[in-house]
Amino acid sequence: MDKSQAQDPLREADNGATAHTLRIGVYVCHCGGNISDVVDVERVVQAASGLSNGVVTRHYPAMCSETGQNLIIDDISNEKLDRVVVAACSPSLHEHTFRAAVARAGKNAYLYEHVNIREQVSWCGKSDPDGATNKAIRLVGAGVAKARLLRPLAPISMDAKRHVTVVGGGVSGLRAARDLARIGLAVTLIERSASLGGHMAQWHLVYPTEDKARDLLRELVDEVIGDPNITVHTRAEVIEASGYVGNFLLRVEPEHITVETGAIVLATGFDLYQPQEGEFGYGQYPEVITLDQLERMLDPEGPTSGRLERNGRAVNNVCLIHCVGSRQIEGIHQPGPDGKLNEYCSRVCCTATLRAAGEIRRRFPRTNVFELYRDIRTYGRGHEEYYDEASRLGVLFCRYEADRPPVVSPAEPKKGPGLICAKHPPGRSGKLNLVPFSAEEPDDSALVVQVKDTLTFGEELEIPADLVVLVTGMVPREIDTLVDQLKLSRSADGFLQEVHPKLRPVELAVNGLFVAGTCQAPMDISESCAAGSAAAAKAAALLASGRIELDPFLAPVDLDVCRGEGKCVEACQYQKAVTLVEVERDGRKVRHAEVNSALCNGCGMCTAVCPTGAIQVEGWRLDQFDAMVDALVADYAETEVSHA
Amino acid sequence: MLPADRAQVPKILILATEACAYPGADNVGQIHAEYPANTYVVRVPAPVMFSEPFYLHCFEKGIAGIIVMSCGHECPYPGAYDTLATRISRVHELMGERGIQTNRLRLCAVCTVCSKAFLKEVHQMHELLTSTV
Repeated sequence: MDKSQAQDPLREADNGATAHTLRIGVYVCHCGGNISDVVDVERVVQAASGLSNGVVTRHYPAMCSETGQNLIIDDISNEKLDRVVVAACSPSLHEHTFRAAVARAGKNAYLYEHVNIREQVSWCGKSDPDGATNKAIRLVGAGVAKARLLRPLAPISMDAKRHVTVVGGGVSGLRAARDLARIGLAVTLIERSASLGGHMAQWHLVYPTEDKARDLLRELVDEVIGDPNITVHTRAEVIEASGYVGNFLLRVEPEHITVETGAIVLATGFDLYQPQEGEFGYGQYPEVITLDQLERMLDPEGPTSGRLERNGRAVNNVCLIHCVGSRQIEGIHQPGPDGKLNEYCSRVCCTATLRAAGEIRRRFPRTNVFELYRDIRTYGRGHEEYYDEASRLGVLFCRYEADRPPVVSPAEPKKGPGLICAKHPPGRSGKLNLVPFSAEEPDDSALVVQVKDTLTFGEELEIPADLVVLVTGMVPREIDTLVDQLKLSRSADGFLQEVHPKLRPVELAVNGLFVAGTCQAPMDISESCAAGSAAAAKAAALLASGRIELDPFLAPVDLDVCRGEGKCVEACQYQKAVTLVEVERDGRKVRHAEVNSALCNGCGMCTAVCPTGAIQVEGWRLDQFDAMVDALVADYAETEVSHA
Repeated sequence: MLPADRAQVPKILILATEACAYPGADNVGQIHAEYPANTYVVRVPAPVMFSEPFYLHCFEKGIAGIIVMSCGHECPYPGAYDTLATRISRVHELMGERGIQTNRLRLCAVCTVCSKAFLKEVHQMHELLTSTV
């Protein structure tokens, strides 16, 4: 054995096994049918067992379960496996899980290769199961090919700042900051506006407890401001971010401060949908307002001191229109200024509206309340009770279809044949009287709302209204600078996207970034608080030890192969991580490249230009990619599924 | 045995960046959009690590089309996208010299939620290859 072989970590780790004699375990996950309903997993396993290294090949309903992971651990021990390949969901979900399982079995965690046959095979190939099976066979082949060439690597362990930055001072940000500080971490809270509390500070009473929103907030804000572990900056924005998990660097304007932080909780909140000019008369008639404005009106500390009035007159008829700017349908609704439709349900508005409607009926019993809805979604604990209560209090419900939305227009002398419902307070039954329009009994409401009510066999109703309330939903807030600087993922609807809604619900794809509250999706105050606490717990667990382990995917130099030509130094002009150094070797002076691992970001610009292949990104070596391509084009004729 | 039509389906290699296009390809699956099965997504930190010969070797080995799905200007590695774009142009020249149709190698940008862009690129390449190869 020559010297270079003796130093080769692959050979040391594998007791002299060569790439083709390594013992590889291949596991194909059913994902509870998500994969196996489309991909013939037995065929995939059969193909894998035909590969030279397929020592153990199994399929199993849920590889990520404890039993599934134990299969791997037991096989590593009993079958003396050198490498493990799991074909399952996306690596973003479980690559780490299986690496950890391999490590628990006493093997190096990087001797593991993950193959994605769910998101990129079964889920996108349902109508072609044979094609999907063949694709899975080839991808598993490529995974095994790469696994043969994997080398043991040591993660890089670095100091991490035991400090978290919370961006956004609404209720979820406040909750996250308070929880983190109580665990003992230093926290910087950055809020864009002049005050803490976000949208909640503008709300009056909140379901399901009927608490005063500001009372709840005051308690939380006092705790945050009074906590010596928390530094609060208002009227401040993060304008630049760099670094990585454990060691982020944020530049905050306009105070010109720099924050060194280990993790970041994004709690940037939402905007309310802004109705377009003329949408249900918004902007045309002063009697058309939005739900948040109604809440201000109902607030004794609000602009009308809690009186329900418009243009100086008491409001007799209130018409609330649900789903304004939510659940939009292509071909029916107009896209917003960004060209997008809000296809999602904003979730919280139904219960908030029912709560406000009930409050009006209780406080102003002479005021008629109409709710025009598409569907009522009272999904949470204690929410349906608001619907029951509103019905009991005499709120009148009309259901409209998306393609026949209510029409708001100025009231004119009416000519029938519609029905009018006005000035007839609820009878003992609690029901409003619907009476035919009568010219002798004019209504003086400024507006009339026409709606085709599908609850009454499609009757065309004309409802007088001196206040029309548009129930607008939550839309993603403009946070382009943060998205750009922190490389945040957004879902199709524009909200920030977590790694997985169930398995990693408050983590973002970039390690060390967490999401809390309505910047992730529409949620109510209870849910926002829960999300804030969850993000705090995850961030605290990450930074608890003050050390962070990073994947060692950097570009070391193979000194036996490097000729010191320096092309890599030129290629690394941005990071300046590679330099040429002169050293004495075997009695003579030689030049070779040297990589500063603190500066190397693992991009591989050096790899492409190296004439000898001496500089490679660990975990992503070019010979591994070559082997994968070979496997993708290999002849699988005997195991591939053919069209019968 | 494999019937001729299945064996000869042209293979498309998709080099997808770990930060953008790979999660973008996952997103296509998450919304259960379908695309042809002759597509093999390979995750890479940055496709700038591949030299010109890598692409030529892929064609020699039997890959019919390559789509490099990068992060475009969202690339997390400073300077990498421009270097990549220059390199792909150079590979196109080399392909031309070797008589390989240059549109069998595509460089595009696909973000984490760019499912429409992903599907458009895949369908275009599939159509090109099935009509000409």
